[in-house]
Amino acid sequence: MADNVIEIRNLSKIYRDFWGRPKVKALNSLSLEVKRGEIFGLLGPNGSGKTTTLKLLLGLLFPTEGTVSILGRPAHDVEKNERIGYLPEESYLYRFLNADETLDFYGRLFKMSATERKKRTDALIQQVGLQGARRRQLKEYSKGMTRRIGLAQALINDPELVLLDEPTSGLDPLGTRDMKDMIINLRNQGKTVVMSSHLLADVQDVCDRIAILYRGELKVIGSVQELLESREETQLLTSELSPDVIKEVEQVLGRNGASLKKVSHPTSTLEDLFLRTVAESEARPGRRFEPGERPSNEKS
Amino acid sequence: MVVEVNPFDLTLGIVYWLLVMVAIVVVGLIVGLVASLAAYGSSGPRRMALTIQRGVRDLTFLSPRRIMAVATLTFKEAQRRKAFMIGLLFLALFMFGGWFLGGAGSDRAAKPYVIFVMTSMSFLLIVMSLLVSCWGIPADIKARSLHTVVTKPVRRSEIVIGRMLGYIGVLSLVLAVTSAFGYFWIWQKVPASAQNQLIARVPLYANEVQFLDRTGTLSNTGLNVGDIWDYRSFIEGGTNSRAIWKFNNLDVASLKRDGKLRLEQSFEAFRTYKGDINQQLRYTLSLYNPTTKLRVPVGTYQVQEHSADAQKTTVEIPAELIYRDSYDLDSPEKKVQVFDELFDNGSLTVEVGALESQQYIGVSHHDMFIRLPDRTFLATYVKASLGLWLLLVLIVIIGTTSSCFVKGPVATILTGSLIFVGFVFRGRIDTVLRDLAANSAPIGGGSFESLYRLATQMNAVSPLPENIGTDVIKTLDQGVFGMLRVVNALIPDLQYFNTSEYPANGFDVPWAGMLLPSLVITIGFLIPLIILGYFSLQLRELEHK
Repeated sequence: MADNVIEIRNLSKIYRDFWGRPKVKALNSLSLEVKRGEIFGLLGPNGSGKTTTLKLLLGLLFPTEGTVSILGRPAHDVEKNERIGYLPEESYLYRFLNADETLDFYGRLFKMSATERKKRTDALIQQVGLQGARRRQLKEYSKGMTRRIGLAQALINDPELVLLDEPTSGLDPLGTRDMKDMIINLRNQGKTVVMSSHLLADVQDVCDRIAILYRGELKVIGSVQELLESREETQLLTSELSPDVIKEVEQVLGRNGASLKKVSHPTSTLEDLFLRTVAESEARPGRRFEPGERPSNEKS
Repeated sequence: MVVEVNPFDLTLGIVYWLLVMVAIVVVGLIVGLVASLAAYGSSGPRRMALTIQRGVRDLTFLSPRRIMAVATLTFKEAQRRKAFMIGLLFLALFMFGGWFLGGAGSDRAAKPYVIFVMTSMSFLLIVMSLLVSCWGIPADIKARSLHTVVTKPVRRSEIVIGRMLGYIGVLSLVLAVTSAFGYFWIWQKVPASAQNQLIARVPLYANEVQFLDRTGTLSNTGLNVGDIWDYRSFIEGGTNSRAIWKFNNLDVASLKRDGKLRLEQSFEAFRTYKGDINQQLRYTLSLYNPTTKLRVPVGTYQVQEHSADAQKTTVEIPAELIYRDSYDLDSPEKKVQVFDELFDNGSLTVEVGALESQQYIGVSHHDMFIRLPDRTFLATYVKASLGLWLLLVLIVIIGTTSSCFVKGPVATILTGSLIFVGFVFRGRIDTVLRDLAANSAPIGGGSFESLYRLATQMNAVSPLPENIGTDVIKTLDQGVFGMLRVVNALIPDLQYFNTSEYPANGFDVPWAGMLLPSLVITIGFLIPLIILGYFSLQLRELEHK
């Protein structure tokens, strides 16, 4: 119980029209917990209730039924926000401020001295890679840069719990990779991360546990490893084998009542290939790969 | 200049404010209870109690640091969104305004320039204050940037107060710059011959004015010459008719230090026949000590009847006055120590009589005053700007609060309407309610009675038939008057904020009569509106679809 950072019990949300008539049931009796130190993913198609759940956690919406406890406090409690960081789906920041001013402003909302704010701002700007654009107003930022500064403002108070709403939405593969690395890094620092996304590969890459929502209802919850693992099959990864060796392996398997279902060379993901290509191109400007040639397998 | 502002009683105002606050709290609790029961059933009252408890905490434990952070953000927002461009518009007005203001009579030459500066400043800044205060929070909610603030440890009360402070900061800066520019512009543009009008006269008005008619009967009003505007009443020339002003509780020692007594008057002439049109109507001015029965004629003066609104005459009476008992130049001269012999235990009586037979002179309470030592034009100009600043603060408070529960355009209309009604109708509603309190029902009755009279083509003064229908109509009208009282209590009385006439007419803006009421009204609205703004924002689902 004490290890649960978030506890949601029978949470329902019905959006009503001006006259109080039910319009949409966005969430239906959702119950789940998020444990300290994990990366928890809320998955689901558009309109499944992911963002509604996050907004209910933050007190931006009021539940129709059910309770929410976040860091041991109710959702409407202001003090809990001292220990929370939130990155909205779109980076709804003040576009007339520059990066330094943005972080300083959000820093002033916490109990941080001017020196602390300056130090933290410098560190976060460095962390999200905006050193060259820190004096530019946010309205001049690209989508990726806006997400970065959005993440930085969410981390300004060095929070215990970070809520990320579609953190990789609209980012290019490089930006996505950076964001995912930063999320993993947050977990490595002992923070709890809750992220919502409909980009399955991203969730799979970073999340420890996931919940899949569909039309406001919880369909599946568990660790990524457990949910994706197929216990009825075994996969071996070896160095390259000759056809004769494969044949022998097949015979051995046959003697033990098993069968060889598939022999193939492993493939990397398109994201890996893209990142390697970009890294190679940056290392050796002007280089073009011949048809069939691939960049080295070293990860960027 | 006409001084017709309702007198302000601070103690009564505070008591009235407390009563209204209690009434609002009681009504708010009842409405809240009904709403919570409707929304949450039996758990509603408990939720409401928790919400109030949270509200008390949020409105008490405020963080100046966070408030200032929001205020600074608001200021930067205005700066980056070029709200200060309004100042340039103001400067542009001044580039060309001077072209159209010249050519006035030398007597009035300063007034149009001062009026122009004060009016253009008021207009631009009122519009600006409406726009910035009514649109800021709704724009923030629409752009969802407020979400990134409320998900930090910021109380919504701090957002409301921070926003208000930010807007006030922006408007204060623009007001400071424009008023400073306006001040120098006035001195530069007003012709040298009229610059002596740029002063701040400090009037000390009489406590009462009474009238003696030709038969020696004392009354509170003089003759009515058929003028619909009954601001002035008239004294008959060539008779014993007199207007008598009584100044009480005077600080004689202070007046004595000035070495002279200055009396200023501005009367109106009313001729029943043309007479010698080149000869202005004359009046006598006397000082009278009712205890010693000593009456000292000070002199004979003329009403400046053809000089529009500048009929003022200033009489300087030396501390030692030499006078004659009659206008016969052969009569012996006498000496009187004005401050010792004509002031009666801190009181002074001034009498005015008209000289020309069958001609009349119109006077009012405020047409005669003791003119205390003048202050500088800068002093009254700064005070008038302060009055405008208080008005802007009030608009910001109302605008910001209304923007917490309605969208920008609606908030602008709501706030603008309140300000308009506060300026134009509040005084009239006050008068109606005062008449009602004095059991003097308006002619033709209330709304329902008037409607009945219209429908039945009955005139306004005929009594209604005594039947149950009349009782119903009277009861409904009482309800309307009750509503009027409630509405009146919720509308700011803005007559006290209209300070621009004072510098324009060369008067000092009175602290007790204008600035103090404005300040008290502003604070009186500030406290409940912050609470209202907080609860509006707190109970609002920022993300509601």
